[in-house]
Amino acid sequence: MEFVSQRRIAHRGAVVLAALCACLCSLLAAGGAAARDDTHTSTRVTGITVYAASSLTDVFPKIDSGPKYSFGASSTLAAQITQGAPADVFASANTTIPAQLFAKQLVQKPVVFTRNRLVLVVPTSNPAGIRSVYDLKKSGVKLVIAAPAVPVGSYTLQVLKQMGLTSVLSNVVSRESDVRSVLSKVALGEADAGFVYSTDARTVPGKVRVFKIPAWAQPKVTYALAVVSASGNKAAAQRFIKEVLSKAGQKKMIAAGFLPFPKAKSGR
Amino acid sequence: MRKALLAFLYFLAAAAALAFLALPILAIFVHVPPGRLIDQLSNPVVTDALIVSFKTTLIAQALILLFGTPTAYLLASRRFPGRSLCVTLVELPLVLPPAVAGIGLLAAFGRAGLLGSSLSAAGITIPFTQTAVTIAVAFVASPLYIRQAIAAFEAIDPNLVAASRTLGAGPARTFFRVILPLSRGGLAAGEALAFARGLGEFGATIMFAGSLQKVTQTLPLAIYAEFEVNFDVTLAISALLVLISAAVLISLKLTSLWQPSEQISPSRFARLSWS
Repeated sequence: MEFVSQRRIAHRGAVVLAALCACLCSLLAAGGAAARDDTHTSTRVTGITVYAASSLTDVFPKIDSGPKYSFGASSTLAAQITQGAPADVFASANTTIPAQLFAKQLVQKPVVFTRNRLVLVVPTSNPAGIRSVYDLKKSGVKLVIAAPAVPVGSYTLQVLKQMGLTSVLSNVVSRESDVRSVLSKVALGEADAGFVYSTDARTVPGKVRVFKIPAWAQPKVTYALAVVSASGNKAAAQRFIKEVLSKAGQKKMIAAGFLPFPKAKSGR
Repeated sequence: MRKALLAFLYFLAAAAALAFLALPILAIFVHVPPGRLIDQLSNPVVTDALIVSFKTTLIAQALILLFGTPTAYLLASRRFPGRSLCVTLVELPLVLPPAVAGIGLLAAFGRAGLLGSSLSAAGITIPFTQTAVTIAVAFVASPLYIRQAIAAFEAIDPNLVAASRTLGAGPARTFFRVILPLSRGGLAAGEALAFARGLGEFGATIMFAGSLQKVTQTLPLAIYAEFEVNFDVTLAISALLVLISAAVLISLKLTSLWQPSEQISPSRFARLSWS
């Protein structure tokens, strides 16, 4: 084997590193260009940060591509806001969490902006042979749900209680930290079943099969959003909320599978 | 004048670094009065997480020592084609983001995974079990031990090994009576790092094993789950982890495993430090 000098090796290393950087830069540029082409007629409120529930990941940027978004479990986001995270708007998948923050004067008065539906999803291969929510009682079914503090987790517990299926909880193999983690585990085929929102199931067509939950067992899944009290740009935050509540914004939400909410009466 | 300024900046930088490292740790204890910490230790979330963490970490460390030591010795003592590739492979989990490690483990051992699909046909599923936690911990922590072990083995004077062989000791006896004792400082240091890394593992665990109290919820996963529910419990678990890590570090330092590195390093400050 011929002797290769240290300088030659270092030189080769530098060339490889430079080539990697060049590839990475071109990938980022291409990705950036593609993203920039994506501005249809969406309006843009800039200079604000919106903390929103994971289920809003796809629809909110369609309504307005301007704000900086941070998506996650509503409970996690609320805890971050309590610890001083720099959010201007907080959008939650339930009304309880914004009400708690409002009681602590961390947000202004919350406003309902949409509703959703809970569904049962299984992988397309359906390894456990599930045909309805009642089949979850079969032993050995790997059920994945969200932690009870997460809105979708508490909705799941409500559904199971309504249907008299709390025994099914012994089949739970994991309590995930947000709804998209539940969806991923099912879509990957690792879990046999999971409870997510119908809007989430639509984001992975072909990977999951959806089973409806009977209407009498559906919990009231109501989303609310509010301006964060510590926001430095309340005017823009209000503009964003107006956009979501506007006819155009609501059309985009319905198109994504969310449900219209009844017009606000007094004493909400 | 210039010398004084440089000296000042030098100590300022060191002081800033030390303060930066100490502040978060001190802050945890300032937030939690010791009475409340002891109170929280009886919380089932904390005790269950403690048991899961310890069981999985200890088994993972045993596997790392069992398989990692011969691997490190092979890579340290022999030169063969593809050796540098092997070393890079062994070091790869170190630079891999834990979430990527989790995805990789799913892709390998998941139900539809490379190895997992044959395992699940045989009735063995790994995701969502305590075994999955052990595998995740072993995967992310092993490079820390193996790298340190390779360095420790490479630092051994080959003349001592040769002398042992010429005096009639077989390869196995040489390994256990000469090589291991000589490298014990480095091996213990590597094991301390691997233990700490394993105890704190989060990303790969939550991806591959999920999170369920009593089964797969380790201490870091419990912190994450309790963060939005009960910040007091979060602080208590954090304080607990700090104490455990400190205890491991201190006990490893105090045992005679530490080799006085004055035997190896000519620096006059190299007393009881890792070799």
